[in-house]
Amino acid sequence: MIHLKQLSTQQLICLVILTQVGAHVLSIPYNESRNSGNDAWMSILLGGLIAQVVILIIYWLGKRYPSQSLPQYVTSILGIPLGVVLNLLFAVYCAESSLVVSVTYASVIVRWLLLTTPWYIILGLLIAIAAYIASSPLRSIATVTQSIMFMFLVCLAIVLISGSGKGDMRNILPIGTHGIGAVFKDALPALWLYAGYELLLYVFPFVRSYKQKSIIIAMSIANGLTTLTYLAITFVVTYKFSEGQMNYISEPMVFILRQFNWPVVQSLDILFMTIWLAVIAVTVYVYLFLSARYLASVLPSGIRKHTLLVWIIAGICYVIGLWGDHREKIIRFSVYHNFATGVMVILVPVLLLLISFMRGKGGVVR
Amino acid sequence: MESSQQLANNTTAIQEMLSNSSDFQTTDFTAGGRHYRLYYLDTMIELAAVQEHLISPLLLQDNVSVREAVSILNVSETQLLTDALTAIIEGKTVVQIEGDATLYLCATALNKERSINIPVNERVLRGSNEAFIEDLATNLNLMRKLLSSPGLVVKYYELGRISKTRVAMLYIRNLANSDILHEMDRRIKSIDIDYVEAPGFIQELVEEKLFSLFPQTLITERPDRVRSYLMDGKIAILSNGSPDCMIIPITFWSFFQSPDDYQINWLFGSTFRLLRIICFIIAISLPGAYVAMVNFDPRILPFEISMTLQSSMQFIAMPAVMEAISMLLILEVLREATIRLPSPIGQTIGVVGGIVIGTVVVQSNLVSNTMVVVVAFTGLASFIIPSYEMSSAARLLPYPFILMSSILGLFGLELAFLFVITHLSRLHTMGVPYFYTGLNGGTMRDTLFRSPIWRLKTRPKESMTNNKVRIRNPRGWEK
Repeated sequence: MIHLKQLSTQQLICLVILTQVGAHVLSIPYNESRNSGNDAWMSILLGGLIAQVVILIIYWLGKRYPSQSLPQYVTSILGIPLGVVLNLLFAVYCAESSLVVSVTYASVIVRWLLLTTPWYIILGLLIAIAAYIASSPLRSIATVTQSIMFMFLVCLAIVLISGSGKGDMRNILPIGTHGIGAVFKDALPALWLYAGYELLLYVFPFVRSYKQKSIIIAMSIANGLTTLTYLAITFVVTYKFSEGQMNYISEPMVFILRQFNWPVVQSLDILFMTIWLAVIAVTVYVYLFLSARYLASVLPSGIRKHTLLVWIIAGICYVIGLWGDHREKIIRFSVYHNFATGVMVILVPVLLLLISFMRGKGGVVR
Repeated sequence: MESSQQLANNTTAIQEMLSNSSDFQTTDFTAGGRHYRLYYLDTMIELAAVQEHLISPLLLQDNVSVREAVSILNVSETQLLTDALTAIIEGKTVVQIEGDATLYLCATALNKERSINIPVNERVLRGSNEAFIEDLATNLNLMRKLLSSPGLVVKYYELGRISKTRVAMLYIRNLANSDILHEMDRRIKSIDIDYVEAPGFIQELVEEKLFSLFPQTLITERPDRVRSYLMDGKIAILSNGSPDCMIIPITFWSFFQSPDDYQINWLFGSTFRLLRIICFIIAISLPGAYVAMVNFDPRILPFEISMTLQSSMQFIAMPAVMEAISMLLILEVLREATIRLPSPIGQTIGVVGGIVIGTVVVQSNLVSNTMVVVVAFTGLASFIIPSYEMSSAARLLPYPFILMSSILGLFGLELAFLFVITHLSRLHTMGVPYFYTGLNGGTMRDTLFRSPIWRLKTRPKESMTNNKVRIRNPRGWEK
């Protein structure tokens, strides 16, 4: 029997872009303009550049163990007890990420689309469809993601079209008045927007490519396209709203979409938020999938059934998510989430690479 | 069971084995001092052949063996009555000489077959107008005529313990992937069943996913279509008694291809291909989208359009979901009735369907005008898909879509879409992925569009063929 298990570089690009892009899109550049104001685009760009550096680090790490994924080689870097702990931490972090994203978007749906539908139904269905997708093999997941890429492009077109209406170019000027410090300060929240590239830690050995270099090229293209998307949204928002207005509107994209009128479609925001659901689902199911895979590497081989693990994790996420129906709670919780992202996505790969360098090429073979 | 030298013994033995079947006959004649007896089923032999090529040569020639005397291509000898019995059932005439236990099996089977017709279910405007018939030999003959290559391999299987249906697997050596061939061979050989209703039974016994609306094998009645798939490196299964040919492995996009696409200008071909795919999406989602917009988000539509909708729905008592489901159901009943109805009273359907359903239902305020438009368009869109199986899938899928969007609006519709895409991505035929997106430059050429022939240089990747190149020097005259 022939079963394709490997990803093409194109599928990798789709997976990474759509995992990076998530529920934040509606609120860009609210968090990123707290200090930098109309220079938020610089912070976004800077965040993208930092993300690119982290991608390079993850790539170097993967290159040292080209035939293994992180849950396998982490024990040869850190030894068995620490490696197991780190795998568990990654499993928890991924589950938590998928929970945060699904809860955030469910709250968007409850606030803007389905005002009277109960919270538990919306969240339940969102997590259920994500779990169904995540329980598939990696190749099927990649195919689904490629199909969702179409929807992402439609959304992007909607954003660009709605941004072309009335606005003021001068909102972007004067450039750089907030100072370089403010830009750097806001690059930190911008950095959280790019989380998702740590996917490479797991999928590195599954990418089918003639040269390893094409993996880093694909990753850079993906990260670059995400940066461009975020920049486009930032420009659209700054074009439409002045700095003073931006301070009061935490989800500017919704307002821009809502006031745009077409002879065929009146309120683009409904259309956008509905289609965007698929893009959110990618982030949710990729993290669910990763969480199950990290967990499976820790568990004894008897209970490693992927489908079962995915559904168990999804169930736990759902039960915790039932308490998340207040927006304040989500905002408060996102502080911890951002901290966890910083540690797991940026700090851990850097440390792993350093330790693996110290251990010598290829690490300790057990 | 050994044959006896006594004619009477053999006759009773065969009669017993055939349970005294009334169509079993024997004929005796003497020539050159020898006493011949023929055993046969009178319903299965061709009388003229027996008279001309068996009896008359034996009557005219003395002192030669049966084998030398008769002018029949396929003559074999046996000593076993069981062999003779199978031969008699197949329509052979068995000859025996008194005092000799040898049985001569002469092929004199009567073949009642209809002539080759034009395809009824897969019509095209341009291209060949031959269709398979029920006779396997004729079908293989058609295929051999279309593909006169020594590489065309025909492999027979006998399926069905009782029916002994002959099934043929066709492929082209060096093009078909050997792993897929082995797998198909293994699966067909594992079938142990009393009789096969081919290719429906075979299809259900070899496909991977048991619960799926989507067809996992392609059924066609057109030899030219089978040829094009064989040339892509796929496997075709033909069986005696059925004019349908089964193609495996297959992908989602193949169901939107029609032989027409390759006969006309590639620009038209691409347009119509794209039209079919869009119609598939419309067929499964339009009623759902309508229900979602009417129930949840009328503000997605411009004011004027929602006013029109509102005025048409003003006096309708039923909720939009009920309207949509009942109208689709009526359409489905109409479709089924048209197939089953005897043709002389077929026109009644037009009257009942067109006037009663279309006009009166609206006039009596049971269903809104716009809903009739939506359902009619949905129905038309589902009929545009060239494959009957895929078009049936497209007519069953709207129901869950409608239910989802009636509960959750456009959000539910999107969830249903994601579910279908995931289901498609999880399907495999013979281990080959069933669905892939046509995003990639290599795969887009013959999926969403029909690229010009000179761009289709390689065979599609899903057949996993080793010999990838299809055209070597396209438009070489230009240089």
